[in-house]
Amino acid sequence: MEAFALGCAPVLNTADMTDDVALAASGDVSAFERVYQAHLPRVHSLVRRMTGGRDADELTQDVFVRVWQKLGSFRGDSAFSTWLHRLAVNVVIERFRAETTRRRKLRDGDDIFATIAAPVRSRDLSMDFETALATLPDGAREIFVLHDVEGYKHHEIASLLDISAGTSKAQLHRARMMLRRQLGRGRSGYDH
Amino acid sequence: MTTDAFTERLSEYLDGELSEAEGRQVSEHLATCQDCRATLKELRGVVSEAAALRDTSPDRDLWRGITPRIEPRRVSPFRRAIRSRLTFTLPQLAAAGLTLMVLSGGLVWMARSGDPRADFQPVTALVATDPALTPANFADRNYDDAIADLQRTLDAERTKLDPETVRVLEQNLKSIDDAIDQCRRALQADPSNVYLNTHLADARQRKLVLLRRAAAAAIGS
Repeated sequence: MEAFALGCAPVLNTADMTDDVALAASGDVSAFERVYQAHLPRVHSLVRRMTGGRDADELTQDVFVRVWQKLGSFRGDSAFSTWLHRLAVNVVIERFRAETTRRRKLRDGDDIFATIAAPVRSRDLSMDFETALATLPDGAREIFVLHDVEGYKHHEIASLLDISAGTSKAQLHRARMMLRRQLGRGRSGYDH
Repeated sequence: MTTDAFTERLSEYLDGELSEAEGRQVSEHLATCQDCRATLKELRGVVSEAAALRDTSPDRDLWRGITPRIEPRRVSPFRRAIRSRLTFTLPQLAAAGLTLMVLSGGLVWMARSGDPRADFQPVTALVATDPALTPANFADRNYDDAIADLQRTLDAERTKLDPETVRVLEQNLKSIDDAIDQCRRALQADPSNVYLNTHLADARQRKLVLLRRAAAAAIGS
């Protein structure tokens, strides 16, 4: 595969994508590569943000291997991108669950402010934000990404992570407060 | 409520998740607390910046690490047919309909005219015009031979089919066999029952069609 530049996802032709998904589901590796290329930025960004960049490449590969294995169960009841997105979230969550220390970190929310690194400043506000996001504790970051970046509701997050909706709300607030402090008061972007 | 307690509720306030009374209480506090107003403004900034994040690709090729882990797989004709229906165009559907009509007409003509290519008698329901003279059709040598033949073919070729297809096929065959057995038992007591005879004939016909399709799919794989 040659095209691999950083930047925005290519403009998708929905009809072609449907064809490629169908072809990939029937075992066409070339069609699957086109599906991969089209969805890579979305999946990699989701995985990178949820994990704080840790093993993001490896997990992204795991996601697409899982997609290949599970394509037979995709019935078209929802958009393929929705199905893929949910599958990616599940792969990341499974990884988190495998790390036994994660649960302890999630409960130790009171101490998370002590882990904040020095504020990161640069002219690229977006990169500032991504960098600050990566410094959050696993649990708070995971919930922040699912809620504020990916648009999940608290009850959905609670179900995915096997926690209560109240814990999800509390962790989200902590994550936002940490990011607010990380990014610093009086940023021009907030002064409007 | 203290300022700290209000601060703890600001995210829920921002997301509209407080009750009306709680929301009003926070609003009233915000009207008098400059710190909380500033915090709320900054939280709103965090939320809007998160929603505006752009997706980017990794800076190295991940596909090379994926290809060795995926194996080309073969999908049964049944599955392919189910998936490809999503991409049929209107002309394709019209052509398929026309083909089906021609095939159906041809088969009916062959059955009625006794075409020698019809290798066994069609399975029909035995309608009881006279209960005393119309016994239930429990056995038909041509039919049984055809079923046995198809079953042997399928048994020999089933490894060529997708395991999921085999599972569904066996499930369906078992359902049909159960229906046939039930009909046969019921017909022992009431041999001239029109409903039971029709049901038995339908079930046997379904089994024949299913085995034919499965054997054809296995041979063609």
